[in-house]
Amino acid sequence: MQRLGELWRRLKFIFRRGKFQRELQEEMQFHLEMKARTLRDAGMAPGEAGPAAQRRFGNTLLLRETSREAWGWNLLETILQDVRYGFRQLRRNPGFTLVAVLTLALGIGANTAVFTLMDAVMLKSLPVTDPQQLYSLGADDNCCQMTGMQGNFTIYSYPLYRYFQEHNPQFSQLAAFQAGAMSVAVRRSRGAEAAQPYRGEFVSGNYFQMFGISAYAGRLLTPSDDRADAPPAAVMSYRVWQQRYGADPGVIGSTFVINSMVFTLAGVTPPRFFGDRLTGDPPDFWLPIGTEPVLNGPISILREPGEFWLYLTGRVKPSVPVAGLQAQLTAELQHWLRTLPKLDEGDRKDISQQRIILSPGGAGVTELRDQYASGLRLLTVLAGLVLLIACANLANLLLAKGSAARVQMAARIALGATRARLMRQILTESMLLAVLGGAAGVAVAFLATRMILLLAFRGALYVPIDATPSLPVLAFAFALSLLTGFLFGVAPAWVSSRSQPAEALHGATRSTRDRSALPQKSLVALQAALSLVLLAGAGLLTRSLLNLQSQQFGFQTRGRYIVRVDPSLAGYTMQRLPGLYRQLRTQLAAIPGVLSVAYSGYSPMRGENWSSQISVGGRSEEGYKNEFLPWVSKTPSWVRVSPHYFETVGTRLLRGRVITEQDTPSSKRVAVVNETFSRRFFPVQDPLGKHFGIGDNTHNRDFEIVGVVEDTKYQDARQPAYATFFLPFLQQIPRGDESDQNAVDGSNYLHDVELLVAGRPQNLESQVRRVLVAIDPNLTVLSMTTFDEQVARNFNQDRLLARLTGLFGLLALTLASVGLYGVTAYNVARRTNEIGIRMALGADRNNVLGMVLRGAIGQVLIGLVIGIPIALAAGRALSSQLFGVKGYDAGVLAAAVVVLAACAAVAGLLPARRAASIDPMQALRAE
Amino acid sequence: MMGRTEIPPGTLYLLILKTLEAGPRHGYGIAERIQQLSDDVLTVEEGSLYPALQRMLIKGWVVGEWRQSDNNRRARYYRLTLAGRKQLGLELSEFQKVMAAITRVIQTA
Repeated sequence: MQRLGELWRRLKFIFRRGKFQRELQEEMQFHLEMKARTLRDAGMAPGEAGPAAQRRFGNTLLLRETSREAWGWNLLETILQDVRYGFRQLRRNPGFTLVAVLTLALGIGANTAVFTLMDAVMLKSLPVTDPQQLYSLGADDNCCQMTGMQGNFTIYSYPLYRYFQEHNPQFSQLAAFQAGAMSVAVRRSRGAEAAQPYRGEFVSGNYFQMFGISAYAGRLLTPSDDRADAPPAAVMSYRVWQQRYGADPGVIGSTFVINSMVFTLAGVTPPRFFGDRLTGDPPDFWLPIGTEPVLNGPISILREPGEFWLYLTGRVKPSVPVAGLQAQLTAELQHWLRTLPKLDEGDRKDISQQRIILSPGGAGVTELRDQYASGLRLLTVLAGLVLLIACANLANLLLAKGSAARVQMAARIALGATRARLMRQILTESMLLAVLGGAAGVAVAFLATRMILLLAFRGALYVPIDATPSLPVLAFAFALSLLTGFLFGVAPAWVSSRSQPAEALHGATRSTRDRSALPQKSLVALQAALSLVLLAGAGLLTRSLLNLQSQQFGFQTRGRYIVRVDPSLAGYTMQRLPGLYRQLRTQLAAIPGVLSVAYSGYSPMRGENWSSQISVGGRSEEGYKNEFLPWVSKTPSWVRVSPHYFETVGTRLLRGRVITEQDTPSSKRVAVVNETFSRRFFPVQDPLGKHFGIGDNTHNRDFEIVGVVEDTKYQDARQPAYATFFLPFLQQIPRGDESDQNAVDGSNYLHDVELLVAGRPQNLESQVRRVLVAIDPNLTVLSMTTFDEQVARNFNQDRLLARLTGLFGLLALTLASVGLYGVTAYNVARRTNEIGIRMALGADRNNVLGMVLRGAIGQVLIGLVIGIPIALAAGRALSSQLFGVKGYDAGVLAAAVVVLAACAAVAGLLPARRAASIDPMQALRAE
Repeated sequence: MMGRTEIPPGTLYLLILKTLEAGPRHGYGIAERIQQLSDDVLTVEEGSLYPALQRMLIKGWVVGEWRQSDNNRRARYYRLTLAGRKQLGLELSEFQKVMAAITRVIQTA
């Protein structure tokens, strides 16, 4: 009770500080007067009584201070005082404040932007219930669709999923969802709207239950939607519902045609939910896995035990040990694999090495995380470096300012201010600057994040990362600001508070020695060193990006367009494909400006890769091992291509012939192979006329090699081209096992149409769309880009890194130059007097110019000496990110040194010329 | 002015509280009263009187009231509160205990 009253009285005090001050003053005035009167009464002369009373009383100001301190708000009050004083200081130097706040805004903004990405990509969990209970089966980044052994199993078939579901009650829910991205064509049943391309994903009925997500509107899928006899139901993303259908409640429960199959829209997901992984263009529609056979028709893979295409994620019941579950799953996997009806000997041997690793699934499928982890770490370091340089710069500015205010500081110390108090006041000023800079930095970060997202997700229509700063991001920015303020404020505060009153008060401007000179110069050297590191890094990454983009891919991109189409979405059966292909070729070729039309299962650098084992001369070819992709690349890649394909994509024929109109389903089965294939499988013999089979070795004479083309990169731009063979469309691949037939038939569906055009035809895209709609209203152009763009999208991350490092490097260079200029200019101003004397004693302008320049260049030289080894080490650390350029590229390093030296020369020359133009008479008279 | 004696540490509160027991006084009055009652032996330094009064205000032992003084000037009068009276009792008994103990030590030693 007592304490509470005390607290209340103390609190009241802060709000009545003014009144308190007045009252205390009045009280003491009264006291003094009373005392003086008493002294007068005792016989003292009236003129002496007042001063005597005052002497007895002591320092009224000090007494008021101590009385005030009793209330315990002393610290707060002095802080407020310092803050007010700080604001006054900042207002008095608007130029300095502007430069400082801008510098900080850039530095803090860059860091906050990188942190926003870090937070979204690396730290955040999916917006689902209890994400820490979720585990993914598998820890590799295998994707999409494959057969055969995986080593670390990551993707699974539907029968295998059901097997796990039945045998593992440790999961309260085990859900399956499609690994690869799928395009769907969607339109409402009623109305005449044309089908639009969207992202779709097959998910098991318990998918949303597993995540603990409930519907925003309507209902989500349930296990009963999975049954074959269930009416087809689909779930729409909140985004599509909002943007496409204006959040119309009438949409829910209405019917949609998805890929020519009618679905009822069951409901809408919550706004924050973006599916099972953070990716550009997340799914817009979720479809029950049970509808896959109908939707995919002839190419359905739901019932195929050996077709792996699903990711599995489960909610593990509390108190289930994960290690035990992992061992059990591995044992079950091996047991199940042994029951697979058709498995070749090689795979069978490997079964005992197959295993399942349970990895935390709360962040969803972490392909983005894996993809960007190293890049983001690098960006964090870079942004940190930029901030360090900014700090060094500000510290320098403050030091210069502090030196200018040396006399003032000395006066304050002489008047009794403590050094601690002075340091605190200067630190407060830098903290204020930092917080202002941080606030501006948040705005910079917002813009920068959006820019980075655009760079990182080039080609995506929508990225589920919010650039708006969240609470953790704001907290980060604030903490960073305070740290920054301390970092750049502490040295100037220390130096200023050390000023010797006596030394400073007499002849302040005459001394040639300056306490702040050494820290200032070391800061400039540090800035130069860091700038060099950033510039060299930017140079390496840019070189690498250029190498990646301008390498010999084995195709030409100029004048080429890629149109993504999927006839299976429009319900085409195998029988109708020949007619469609004929129409496509003739009608697209009729568009003015189109020189050549081709189509293929997939086009180069689209990110797709099909591979199959082949057999040559009666033995199964293990192919080759690739240390990066041990399980995938054992087998050669292949793709079906149309006539004129190679000329359309610009791949040169080296020997034999290409695939032509004469290669029909009924003609001899032929294949064109690339150089690597030829070298790999026919190292000594002539490959032309040789035969190979696909799949089991009883068919080893199925395909005759009729041509060899140059190596072409299809998937990984950093790897040598894979051994690849090309087959004509619609020629059957005979295989022993019928169960795989659907997947093989799927290869007969084109996914990409390639166009070679002359110049830049007007309205090409709308003309292409018109042709497709004329052929079949359900044929949707999923996307259309230039071939250049398709290739460029492969290097989003490299481009992001190169651009940002370049940007950071430029920023660092600017800051360092400004820093050098500032210090040199300040020194010239300070030494005006000295220079005047030198010139009066006979030094000529060149001597002065040289003296000033030597000082500036000396600092940069020290920076280079420090920076070059760091740049070399950084290059080494970068080397895994680089393509076609070593971490210690002499040219890049030399260029960075030259750029830095040039900037330093300019930054030093300007003040040096000013020094040289000093008029000795004036300089001396000014004193 | 010679022979001025500092107030023993820890007893300032007691002296102020005791002075105010008879009725409200202003700061100068308190100092005067203590000096007068102690026959000019004890002098209250202004430098400790006013901070002490502030601390007593915080503790709630006294409250300050502005009134007309005898010579028609506005002055802050300090009045003992109930908590102040209680505190006076406490301080008194504490002081007497210490005093008695010190006396015993001095006499026997």
